[in-house]
Amino acid sequence: MELADKLEILADSAKYDVACTSSGVDRPGQPGSLGCCKNAGICHAFTPDGRCISLLKVLYSNACCYDCSYCVNRKSNDVPRATFEPRELAELTIGFYRRNYIEGLFLSSAVLGTPDHTMERMIEALRILRREYHFRGYIHAKTIPGASPELVQQLGLLADRLSVNIELPSEASLSLLAPDKKRSAILKPMGQIAVQSARSREEVAFYRHAPAFAPAGQSTQMIIGASPETDLHIMNLTEALYKKYALKRVFYSAYLPMNSDARLPSPATRPPLLREHRLYQADWLLRYYHFSASELLTESQPNFDPYLDPKATWAVRHPEFFPVEVNTAPKQDLLRVPGIGPKSARRIVSARRQQHLGMEELKRIGVVLKRAQFFITCEGRAPVRATRREMAAALLDPKAFGIGVQQLSLDDFALQPLPAAAPAVHELVDCGMDPCQAAREVRQEALQCLTRQM
Amino acid sequence: MPYTADVTDQVYRYDGSFQGFLCCIFESFSRREIPAGIWPPERGQITFYGSRDIATDPVQARRVAAGLRRLGTEVRERVVRGFLSCNPEKEMILLRFVRLCFNLGPGAARMTGDPDVCAAFDLERSVNNEAAKYIEFIRFEQRGTLLGAQIHPQNSILPLLRSHFCSRLPDEDFLIYDATHGVAMLRQKGQVRYLAMERYDAGSGQEELNWQELWKRFFDALTIEERRNEQGQRNHAPKRYWQDMCEMYPREF
Repeated sequence: MELADKLEILADSAKYDVACTSSGVDRPGQPGSLGCCKNAGICHAFTPDGRCISLLKVLYSNACCYDCSYCVNRKSNDVPRATFEPRELAELTIGFYRRNYIEGLFLSSAVLGTPDHTMERMIEALRILRREYHFRGYIHAKTIPGASPELVQQLGLLADRLSVNIELPSEASLSLLAPDKKRSAILKPMGQIAVQSARSREEVAFYRHAPAFAPAGQSTQMIIGASPETDLHIMNLTEALYKKYALKRVFYSAYLPMNSDARLPSPATRPPLLREHRLYQADWLLRYYHFSASELLTESQPNFDPYLDPKATWAVRHPEFFPVEVNTAPKQDLLRVPGIGPKSARRIVSARRQQHLGMEELKRIGVVLKRAQFFITCEGRAPVRATRREMAAALLDPKAFGIGVQQLSLDDFALQPLPAAAPAVHELVDCGMDPCQAAREVRQEALQCLTRQM
Repeated sequence: MPYTADVTDQVYRYDGSFQGFLCCIFESFSRREIPAGIWPPERGQITFYGSRDIATDPVQARRVAAGLRRLGTEVRERVVRGFLSCNPEKEMILLRFVRLCFNLGPGAARMTGDPDVCAAFDLERSVNNEAAKYIEFIRFEQRGTLLGAQIHPQNSILPLLRSHFCSRLPDEDFLIYDATHGVAMLRQKGQVRYLAMERYDAGSGQEELNWQELWKRFFDALTIEERRNEQGQRNHAPKRYWQDMCEMYPREF
């Protein structure tokens, strides 16, 4: 099989892995080697689905011996199969890297025979890259659940970031949909990586040349919408993963029906992209905005509002917290204002040491005031007066009512709801309503509902 | 912010170099005046303003540079990077900013609510953003022993790409051609030089085309059709960068 065909097959099988980040490690270049890493990470291309390509994201092999019901590479599917040779993969990575196409390699794999055998092949490919080509770029490797701890150790010394996919948000769903994978087999390597990574960080602090074990930490991902868990369950799990295993990121992947199976949602279901978006927003609130999962969702409201982002939902439910005075409030309080993010908050704090901030100054600093203006005061004065309805209109998330041209074929220019629009809009359009009118009606209803809440 | 200087109707003409610009700052301080404009030689239209030619004097330039250094890296970086911008008003924006910083001290750089500081901040930010985008989107091609790339930036960002690519490709020779300004940055045997260059022909070796083909197939394979979001794609990679990215060229059917 030609290399190009192999690459196409193995990239196509890897595309449902979400993680494509190259952040978390700073490593300058060195004569005699190739490549460097930047802490913030670098994206190199953006595909028409709006996702970034930062790494050469491929599977080592897609010839799987497991039969997970949701997976496109499961044993019982009839798809073309391919497997890389370690050297072939290393050469491909170097060729792409030198041309500035990619930031490094993302290597995952289907289970090729046994987990240990698969891991050995992956380690060989990474060893060639690191030791023979002296590659100093980024490597993200997936550990295979069930592989022995020694192999995980070896993999961690070669890769920058490791990840173990938690796959589904609960043990019950896992044993139903992926009977070959055990929750303990997933959590064990995760614990091992957390411990070794922390220990290695200590060693590197003492001895500069101590070998670094997964210096960019570990991440995981789970499928959303294939199983019945609520958003509250998922957020609690996420929070626990961040606290217990010191994960850098938890990724969510909206379930795309690829196989028809009685245990799964029907193949006609749309991927819950808006829900995925809300989960990511909440995930950001946990990591950068000092929120906790219990503040965002409650037992009585266990799911996110499709029309309102989680931070605005919190703000609407906690009117006693506002207004926040921009000239004196601590940074953590500023971060709770809808529309003010870490960047704006940092700029406000550094600018107010030099001058008093009024509305004009805030605009110049670059704070987006569309939503923030209802929740702040500048030197004791509220910047605007607005009715509840006007406030509600500014708070609603336009993404939920997105209509646009989705050109799936060459002569198709009709307006349609965008894939990330709210499910209600999609349903009305499926019943034959004009897309613009459907979006307008759903928005009216959401607006009325929100106005009543405030 | 009131300046202790008169606003005149004189325009300063300088030679377009950074040193020349520093001399304009010197002139503005020594005469206690704010000029009506500071113009590089290529802006030659007739105006109602009187104009004065400012000679580039290395001694004066060094004095101003030393003053900027005393104001700290934040101020100096903003002036140096802002000067790479393509904004026709950049000299006046930076002059106002520098005068303010000399008046109030280094902290003035963080008064982003002030109109003059804000304008200089935006200048620096747009230059930095463009440089960061080109660090992402440059596509090299192998031409013999040299890696070559062509870019079409609005600002003169070549100096900002230098340290990144020298660190990333320590043992490679490479050339980045800035087609907008007709300048190329050539790194050969560990030495970096800036050259004036007229044109750059894309390489057409079969092996290089094979690599590009491989990259395009990878790029196409990674797209998930059910999640199609072209607006998102354009937000992250605006269309003006596409001409330099081989995977964005239309496919032949």
